[in-house]
Amino acid sequence: MLSTLFLLLTLSLQPGQAATGKAADVETCLACHGDRSMAVTLPSGEIRSLYVDVAMFRASVHGNKIGCADCHQDMTAVPHEARPFKTLREFTVAYYEQCKRCHFDNYTKTLDSVHYQALARGDRTAPLCVDCHGAHDVKSPQKPKSQISRTCAKCHEGVFTVYNKSVHGRFLEKSDDVPGCTDCHRSHDVAGPKDVNWQRRTPELCRGCHENKRLMAKYGLSTAVAQTYVADFHGMTATLHETDTGREVSVVALCTDCHGVHDIAKVNEPGSRVLRANLVETCARCHAGATENFPGAWMSHYEPSWKKAPLVYGVQLFYNILIPFMISGLVLQMLLHFWRVVVNR
Amino acid sequence: MSTYFTRFTFRQRVEHALVMSLFIVLSVTGLPQKYFDAAWARWFIDLTGGIDHLRWFHRIAGLSFATLTVWHVMFAIGSVAAGRSPLSIVPNRKDFDDAIQMMRYYLGRIDQPAQFDRFDYRQKFEYWGLVLGAVVVISTGLILYFPILFTRFFPGELIPAAKVAHSNEGLMAFLVVILWHIYNAHLNPDVFPFDKTIFTGKISLERMHDEHPLELERLKQVQDIEES
Repeated sequence: MLSTLFLLLTLSLQPGQAATGKAADVETCLACHGDRSMAVTLPSGEIRSLYVDVAMFRASVHGNKIGCADCHQDMTAVPHEARPFKTLREFTVAYYEQCKRCHFDNYTKTLDSVHYQALARGDRTAPLCVDCHGAHDVKSPQKPKSQISRTCAKCHEGVFTVYNKSVHGRFLEKSDDVPGCTDCHRSHDVAGPKDVNWQRRTPELCRGCHENKRLMAKYGLSTAVAQTYVADFHGMTATLHETDTGREVSVVALCTDCHGVHDIAKVNEPGSRVLRANLVETCARCHAGATENFPGAWMSHYEPSWKKAPLVYGVQLFYNILIPFMISGLVLQMLLHFWRVVVNR
Repeated sequence: MSTYFTRFTFRQRVEHALVMSLFIVLSVTGLPQKYFDAAWARWFIDLTGGIDHLRWFHRIAGLSFATLTVWHVMFAIGSVAAGRSPLSIVPNRKDFDDAIQMMRYYLGRIDQPAQFDRFDYRQKFEYWGLVLGAVVVISTGLILYFPILFTRFFPGELIPAAKVAHSNEGLMAFLVVILWHIYNAHLNPDVFPFDKTIFTGKISLERMHDEHPLELERLKQVQDIEES
């Protein structure tokens, strides 16, 4: 809505600059920019090709929608005015604001991103729209879905290598079911590891898929993981912390603290942090001094039953019988006593 | 003006006041943890400054309650050992007979209620219920407080089992007090609106006559009591 308004406003301020591909406009530019050898050397020594591959532009999502001047608004005079860019990156940063004329909503989301924080610190290498989406060759990012994560990998190579070995990353190319980078980190308002308010909502993120019955049935996974987590201390505390934004809160184990983040493994494969053999070490990361029996305090996402946790189940059963028996007995006593008092009067 | 008897010592009255205060604090800080998903619990947890604060309040109150319980038990053992305790709170055969007789009286089968001594079966039941309940909540509370220590000697399953026991026992204690104790000490037509004896330590001759006739009989053996 906001973006539409903004767009209308922008367009109304730009008479005769309607955002439609004007063939004539494109042709005019190609008279010079269709030349493959056209290039300029910047003060930094970098060479900037000024050739535009029109076939590539036509094949992009913008190809039949907008023309050159819609993005290159300052190119009004021919020959063009001299420009102050000393490096290639300066040029890209200068063009950063062009996309928001149409994509205002996504632009404002980027302002909340860890990438924008880097840019605001003066980091010129922080990704801008075109770094992820491309410029003349903008494609729909979803096709295929794995393309998104491979885009992130261009900068985040180390993380991607780890992720690629994980239970999620291994299936990235095979299936759209597994989470790619943006499924957890979001795409425009990208959240980074220092964003505590995003971290706090980790269980909510994992629940998004792991409570989806249809999806989990496909892989033979339980959908009870979230409720069994919330039924225990970690999950209870985490649930309450979710709404405690801005308050100093204690550290509590979230899904990722036991299962890992980019290196999440199948629970039964050798590298898994939650294998029985590795559990003491995993618990001890927070519970200093935990010994061999300590991991048994966590019921591994199982509901108590005679088979899985007989003591817990037995105690629960005992109280399920005792409490109603006790309370109904006492209430009956009260009623009888009261009844006798009334009758005697 | 009627004659009054001293029913409770100063120490007993103070103990009751402490148990009452700590019980309220423990219930108010414990139940929202058991039902943390409910809107009222969320509201209360927020009010106390978040779950981390609330847990500390609960632990401090719990440790105080544990101290008080240990003190009470030590004192009781000491009194019994020194032969100073009349053991009047200890259940016996008569209590079971009294309970059955009262049932029959309530139902109109017989015309005479049972005659009680210093403590009737309901009072003994409540006292022992509190002591046993205290043993359960204190021991399980300590297990939940120090899980690393306890799992050095016991299997890990003790921890979730302690949690189930602690929260259920706490709930049961809360319900018993809210229903049974509030009825007996406040709503019961015989004492309505408020049985002050545990606070003043005093009980009237009329109530002694109605509620503890056997004790009154024994007292008459040793002192001069005029009944109007």
